[in-house]
Formats: sequence, C-alpha cells, structure tokens
Amino acid sequence: MTTTTGASVDAGSSTQPALQPELRRALYETMVLSRTYEEAILREYHADKGPGFDIGKGLVPGEMHLSAGQEPVAAGICAPLTTDDAVTATHRPHHLAIAHGVDLRAMTAEIFGRATGLGHGRGGHMHLFDPQTHFSCSGIIAEGYPPALGQAFAFRRAGTDRVAVAVTGEGAANQGAFHESLNLAARWRLPVVFVVEDNDWAISVPRDAATAIASNADRAAAYGIPGERVGNDVEAVYAAASRAVARARAGDGPSLIEVHTVRLWGHFEGDAQGYRDDLESAAERDPIPAYEATLLADGVLDDAAVAAVREEASALVEEAVAYAKESPIPDPATATAYAFA
Amino acid sequence: MSDVLFPELSKEEPGAVGVVATWFLRDGDRVRVDDVIAEVQVDKVAADVVATSAGTIRLVVEEGAEVRQGAVIATIG
Amino acid sequence: MTLTNQELPAGPETRRISTSKAMVEALAQVMESDERVFYMGEDVGAYGGIFSSTTGLLDRFGPDRIIDTPISETAFIGLGIGAAVEGLRPVVELMFADFMGVCLDQIYNHMAKIHFESGGNVKVPMVLTMAAGGGYSDGAQHSQCLWGTFAHLPGMKVVVPSSPADAKGLMTAAIRDDNPVVYVFHKGVMGLPWMAKNERAIDEVPVGEHVVPIGVANVVRAGDDVSVVTISRSVHHALDVADRLAGEGIGVEVVDLRSLVPLDRQAVLSTVAKTGRLVVVDEDYLSFGMSGEVVASVTDVDPSLFSAPPVRVAVPDVPIPYAHALEQAVLPGSERIEAAVRRVLGLTG
Repeated sequence: MTTTTGASVDAGSSTQPALQPELRRALYETMVLSRTYEEAILREYHADKGPGFDIGKGLVPGEMHLSAGQEPVAAGICAPLTTDDAVTATHRPHHLAIAHGVDLRAMTAEIFGRATGLGHGRGGHMHLFDPQTHFSCSGIIAEGYPPALGQAFAFRRAGTDRVAVAVTGEGAANQGAFHESLNLAARWRLPVVFVVEDNDWAISVPRDAATAIASNADRAAAYGIPGERVGNDVEAVYAAASRAVARARAGDGPSLIEVHTVRLWGHFEGDAQGYRDDLESAAERDPIPAYEATLLADGVLDDAAVAAVREEASALVEEAVAYAKESPIPDPATATAYAFA
Repeated sequence: MSDVLFPELSKEEPGAVGVVATWFLRDGDRVRVDDVIAEVQVDKVAADVVATSAGTIRLVVEEGAEVRQGAVIATIG
Repeated sequence: MTLTNQELPAGPETRRISTSKAMVEALAQVMESDERVFYMGEDVGAYGGIFSSTTGLLDRFGPDRIIDTPISETAFIGLGIGAAVEGLRPVVELMFADFMGVCLDQIYNHMAKIHFESGGNVKVPMVLTMAAGGGYSDGAQHSQCLWGTFAHLPGMKVVVPSSPADAKGLMTAAIRDDNPVVYVFHKGVMGLPWMAKNERAIDEVPVGEHVVPIGVANVVRAGDDVSVVTISRSVHHALDVADRLAGEGIGVEVVDLRSLVPLDRQAVLSTVAKTGRLVVVDEDYLSFGMSGEVVASVTDVDPSLFSAPPVRVAVPDVPIPYAHALEQAVLPGSERIEAAVRRVLGLTG
C-alpha cells in the first residue's frame, strides 16, 4: 500500500488493515452527522426562496455548495488529526468543518448570517474561520493551498509536529496555486497533506475534459512527493490519510491524496444539472448506505445503533439550526466593523 | 591622520576605475569608528566604506568623479 | 492630524544614510528584538534584494529568517498569510508592484479579507513590501506604482515613504501593526548607486528605534500660496519646484501623505483651507485613483475651500513607454508640477 515517491496507487478497502470497531463507528457517525447537516441546510436554504428561485432571498441567502456524497473524504482525512492541526477547505466546506470539530452552533449561525456566527455574519458559508480548530475555507479555487503552507511553516518553526491539511477539488488541480504550492511545500519539506476531492465535475465540466492526465495523484511525481488515489471508501481514505499525516509529523514532508468521491447534488443549490449524464449512477454510489451495510454485516452496528446514530445526529443538527434562527441579525450600523484590527 | 582608500572591488583588475556614488558625510564632519562614510561603485558592484578611525573627515574626491581603486578618497584627522 | 517636520527632532541622534539602508536598519532592529519576524521573497538572501531592501540581513540573521523563495508569488505570499494567522510576523516581498497580477488573489481576497470575514477573530499581521516606480526606462511592465489599486481594495493598509527617516519609521510601524500593510518603496528614493543620483535619497535618520505613525501625513515644507499634496518620489520633485518658485516669491506648501490607507484626509483639508489652491501629484495612473481621492477629500466636505479648480498631475491613462523622452513626458516630473502650480495660481496665459 505504501507508495514509492511519485507512484500513485488505487487503493480499495479490501487491502486495509482492520480498524477497531470504535473507530469504524466513529467514522460512520461523522458521515451521518455531516449528511444530516447538509440535508437540514438544503431544507432551510430552499424553504423561503420562492416563488420560483430568488437566490438572494430567505434566511440563508446567496450561493450554497453542499457536500452530500463526499463525507468519506472529511471523515477519513480528519480522523488522524487533532484540533491543533490546520485544515483549509473550499467553497464546499461543511463536511470538513464538521469532521474537524468546528462548533456546530457557531458555524450554523454564520451560515444564517447571524451576529453569533463564527464571523459575526461577515463571512457566510464559504468563509468560515475557526481559530479554535485552525479551520478556514475560501471561495477562490485552489487558493486555500498556499495559506496551509504558512500554517505548516509556523507549526514546524515552533518545534511542534502539527500538520496542515489542504483540501481542494479536481478542477482546482489545474490552477496555478495548486502547482506552486506542491513545489514549494516539497522543496521546503513542509508538514502538509494535500487532498484533492475528485467528484468528477468542476461545476459542469467533467474531469477528463479539463485535465491532461487521468489522475492528479500522478502529478505528485512531478514534485517529488508521494501521491495516492483512493476510492470513496472512508476506511481507505483513513488509511491513506494516516500514512500522509504520519509522514508529515515525522518531518518527511508533504504528500498528495486524491479521493475519487461523488457529488450527489448540484455544484450549487439551484443547479439543474442538465449537463450531467451520471445522475442515476451517482445515486447508486452514495457512500453512507454502503458503509452502513458493511458495518451491519460486520456486526459493528445493529439496527438500533443505526437509529440511535441518526437520532443523535438529527438532534445536534436541529439544535444548531434552532440556535441560528434564534440568534440576532447583525446591526447594519456595524457593517464596516472588523475591516482593521 | 589616516587615509581612507577606495576599496578593491575588482580583484581581477587592480587598476580598475570606479566612482564614489554617495558621500554620507560632509567635508569637515566629525566621524566615529564604524560610521558608514560612503558608497562606492566599480561597474555594477557597490560597497560601503566604513570609518576605521575617528576624527574630522576631509573629502578628497567628489561624488561621481572617476577614482582608481586604492586611491585616497578622504582623510580622517 | 499633521506633523510639521522639516527637521527631525533634536533629541534622538541622527546621521545621514540612504533610504534603502534606513529600510534595512528598521528590519534589522525589529528582527533583533522580535523572533517572530522574518523576511521572504525572491533574491532577498545572498543578493540582498534587487533594490537593496535586505542588504546584509542574510549574514546577520541567517537563512531561516531571510529566505529566498522560488518564483511562486501565489504560494509564498499565501505562505506568509498562513504563517501570520498562526502568530508569526512575516515581511514578504513582491519584487515589483507590477507583478501583483500573478498573485493578486492571495493579496486582496485572502490577506486583506480574512480579518473581516472572520468577524475580527483571525488577524493577519503581515507586511507586503514591493518596489515601484519608473524613470529609468524599464518599460510598461516594470515601472508602475499601482498604489491606487492596492488602496482601492479594502482591508489592507498602504504606506509609501519618501524619505530615509520615514522609510525606517514606517517599516517599524508596519511590522508592529496587527493588520496587513502594503509597504511600497519607489526605486528612485532608495539611493541606489546604479540609478540616477537623487540628493533627497540621502538624509538624516535616527540611529535608534524610530516609528512613524501610519495614517499621518507630513507637511514637509510650509507655504501660503499653493498646496502640493503628493507621495513618494513626487515629494522630491515638489520640493525642487518649491525651492525654485520661492525665488519668485511663491510659497508652495508640500504635503507628503506618507500613507494612502488610512488616508489623512484632515491634512488635505487643512492645507487647502490654508491656501485654497491644490495640486495633487501622483505617479500612478490618473483616472480612478489616488489623485481623484485626494480631491474628493475636499469636495466631500467643503468645495468652497477651493479658490481655483484643483489640478492633478499624474501618469496619463496609458502604459508607461520605454523610450526616455516618452517616459519623461508621461511621468509627473518637476516641469509638469511647476506648470500645474502656475496654472492653479492663474499665472499661465
């Protein structure tokens, strides 16, 4: 399973070392929490956009990019981390924020644009900043990679073994910032884990229409770092992430992990996806029912446990949504606050 | 009284000619050890001239005038 | 608030050095006392910076604190951002202001916005230095000032020293500021031996710690007849013009803004209230920039302060030409400034 520098491998779950039941259940819980959350945001987002669809209307206005189908990336990548490690994410950040431990209430309040949000309503869903967990995200493609280098640089300079995980999409792997970041992190041997979420679609453009090679994991070789491509299997992601994080913590430098995941819903909410020819097959690739079935078959879960996990997730999510809705709207007179420290 | 010489910036060409690009002190100023007196230049290479003694400086050459390496450019007394 | 500062205070010991040496001295003094500060950019190590921004610092502080980067502005400016977020205080150099195009996203969408987007919860205490300005035939892509563009985009402070003492004082202030600060140094004020001689690039600089507050203009020369409000190299040209016109009994007040963000609008109002006649000189492009903003500082409050229409002297809205005579024609040099002063006084026929 371990790659030599630059060689990429496709890893399936059958070759993973067996994980402890507690960890498997924890991975499952994280994924269910994330999906439950996205379903709630989906509901809230669309509840008041009508008649028709007015994007600027309602309690959650603006663009919305939900992560249904991509839960294995978040759960698998974040499990080897602590909240002392940094994660930079994209315009589609919720699953990663949840998996990395960002406070659900403050995050939801920010998505609802409330004064109690992470950014006091200044950032919104694509600009979630949580210094407690060193989590950040931004809406500019690939531009979350460079600041992760800086966090890694600071962690190493302070003599710690903390790491920075930088996540972006397969479309972003064609952006300059991606290549500059891989080169610089490799040359300076920074404790970074680069993650590419390949969900097949950069908005409406399929990967093979945009990318010159079959797998971004192969690009790692160009920068002299290990690259691995795994499927949308949370345990395979976890195994790859554990290896990459361990490398980084040991001072052996960066790695690249590409996860071939699935985007079950649109690029953004309101995306009719007329361009998409794989909608039916995508639904069949939903990772949560598949993992649930595996855990049931392995006896890690039973029906009661499944119900309990879903209830717990629902309770947490609804509580966060309620908190957001009850929180005050920021005072317009404060609109220019926080420009400068 | 000590002489301040134009430093040897070009080793290959000992007789090379350069300029005093900038005098940081004026004629008659008091100077201390380690004060930066001037910036000199031979072709594209520039260097600082630092005082190694203290006293009153008298400038011998003007800014921009051509000076041979090793020549006296100022005196400190 | 303005500071009349024709001579440095008698108190702190001063001596004459160049602007580039003053800038380096500020860096060295701050780095000596603050381990968190480091300098990163292209050719800033052994070379000492293309425009002598870091001469001697590598020898003094070593390669862990004076760091040469690959040609990857997006990556290393982004790295500076992440390091600042985690508590370090990076000074990152963009070799030429003109290169902002290749990395502007990190600058204006990240460095400048993170503090606001996080509701003040995340700070980015970073300095972004850059060389700017023309006059030596470096052509359209290597001669720009562009401070108007940086000043226009919210979330970053912008400082532009004209003198050696201000170069030192503003560098110290910039590093200590908890906000992102863009520090623009005009190549023509650095006192470089390989550029045309500029007498005003060498001047008295305090030996010890020297801080110039950000957002405060400086009345470099007092006068009663015309206010020339400007920044950077143009301050020197304005002073040359003022010296010349003094002989004709014309009193030119020269105000060096020193910072564009925050802009000392009160200083602009005060000088125009005094003279009624305003000339704004800006080596950046004329339209949609600094010169219009300075005029608006007055018209927003009290246009009746003007006893004549204000005159703007800037680079016209064209790329900067290469040939010497053409370049000199577009730059806001002494002749154009003097003509503007005469025009605002109604002295031209």
